[in-house]
Amino acid sequence: MVYLATFHWGWLLASLLLGLAMGWIAVVHRGQGVSKVTSRWLAVLMAALVAIALARILPGRPGYWLDLGLVMFALYLAGCTAGSWLRDRVLAGHAPAA
Amino acid sequence: MHGLFRWSSKWWPGVVPLVVLWALAAWTSTAPLESDLAARSAAALKDTVLDKSRITLAGRDVTFAADAFSEDGRRSAVASVDAVPGVRLVNDETRLVPEAKPFVWSAERDVARVTLSGSSPLPASKGKLLEAARAGLGGVEVVDQMNLSRGAPARFDNAALLLLDQIVKLKDGKITLSDTKVSLSGMARDLGGREAIAAALKNLPEGFSVAANEIKAPPYIFQAYKDPVAVTLTLTGYVPDNNVHAALVAAAGRKFFSEKVVDNLKASVGAPSGFANAVVPALGALSRLSTGTLVVSDREVKLSGDAFYDAAPAQIRAGLIKDFPQGWQLKADISVKPAAAPVDATVCQQLLSELLARGTIRFESGLSTLDPDSAGLLDHLIETALRCPTVNIEVAGHTDADGQDGFNQALSEQRARVVTDYLVKAGLPASRFTAVGYGSTQPIASNETNEGKAQNRRIEFVVRE
Repeated sequence: MVYLATFHWGWLLASLLLGLAMGWIAVVHRGQGVSKVTSRWLAVLMAALVAIALARILPGRPGYWLDLGLVMFALYLAGCTAGSWLRDRVLAGHAPAA
Repeated sequence: MHGLFRWSSKWWPGVVPLVVLWALAAWTSTAPLESDLAARSAAALKDTVLDKSRITLAGRDVTFAADAFSEDGRRSAVASVDAVPGVRLVNDETRLVPEAKPFVWSAERDVARVTLSGSSPLPASKGKLLEAARAGLGGVEVVDQMNLSRGAPARFDNAALLLLDQIVKLKDGKITLSDTKVSLSGMARDLGGREAIAAALKNLPEGFSVAANEIKAPPYIFQAYKDPVAVTLTLTGYVPDNNVHAALVAAAGRKFFSEKVVDNLKASVGAPSGFANAVVPALGALSRLSTGTLVVSDREVKLSGDAFYDAAPAQIRAGLIKDFPQGWQLKADISVKPAAAPVDATVCQQLLSELLARGTIRFESGLSTLDPDSAGLLDHLIETALRCPTVNIEVAGHTDADGQDGFNQALSEQRARVVTDYLVKAGLPASRFTAVGYGSTQPIASNETNEGKAQNRRIEFVVRE
């Protein structure tokens, strides 16, 4: 993992920033969210993919691509979390003043 | 926390550019990642001794194929590839180098090259052997057909290096090491090479032994050429030592009374047994030829040339076979020289006197037995006597003044008769020769000195018409 991080730091940083931006937007986004059922299915799918990656079932290049995708996705989620939380804090800071 | 769930339902639009990013990352990074991991894996194996090592990458999975020289080495090689950071899986396709049983290594030399083949235990040993072969053989081409195998006997390298030193001493041949048994065949480069190899094999490392040593020595050659035009006897080839050398040259000097002896002999070991005992009579036989060549090759004696008269070839052949030590063979190709033109009595006397001035008919001391060294001179005298068929010849025996007159008289008569008999045996009519003994009554030099006495002990041929 450390090796992946050092070798792909550029791509991982991009994912993180993308997540940060998306998280920032999501707080004030008015569009349709993913339904609870769908998000549950998505969570199951992600868990299955993580399980496949950890079990090293997928061989060769697809296995590598899966690892890379999951790491990028994890950082994206981390970026989203941080972005949403920051935006929420910023909004909360303004609200009492308003 | 609740907010986080709410917001997260709206994070999905970012997944679309993320997927694009992911595709780009996979597209651009796969090949560099694979080559980076291949380089790291190869670096991790740098100090491990392996043969046919091959590393292929698919994503982060390494397919590692190699021939290892021990089970431990194989396992540790796989472990060190597995420990390379970034490697996800190792597909272990390693195996042990096949075990050779028996473990056979050989070095073969022919005219143009030396071929090393069979099994070698480790790449380092193989390199060492090749290097040693190239260094030892100078410009000779060294061909490597060695495989790597397990199962080499202990101290294999030392034994093989010692054997490589021996291949240098061969003209052609093969040295094979099968487990701890050494077999050698072929021909040594020089005289003495066979002995040198046998001596070196005593230094084989402990546990190794010689199963078969069939190295042959090159033929031991001795040659003598009698040239009637240059009046020389040329000796070439080998003699066992300086004593034999001196003895042979001295014998040649006695037997070839008029020829100059050109001595090109070299001393060398490896002479067949009975060398001197065979070569001395063979030189005697050569002295009875007007022109001829003597080639002694190991224990085979080839004598060819022209004898002086018809009865001589058979006499020479029979005499040689009788004199040869056991195991020696004679190949005689002796013809008879065409008879020279007849001469009259005066010339006949002159020719006979000239011959007897150059050489003396010798007898054993105090006896009337002809010295074999005088055979050549006698044959020349017979040839001359055959050229004057009409004249009668008196064979006169003389002695020095030592001893009693009666004894000397009898000895001189006996010696003259022995010479006459010899002439008759050669085919000359007995009626033409009279044997006369003069004892010490007709000295030609002083009887006070040894030289003078030697001159007085003589046989003279006097033409009587």
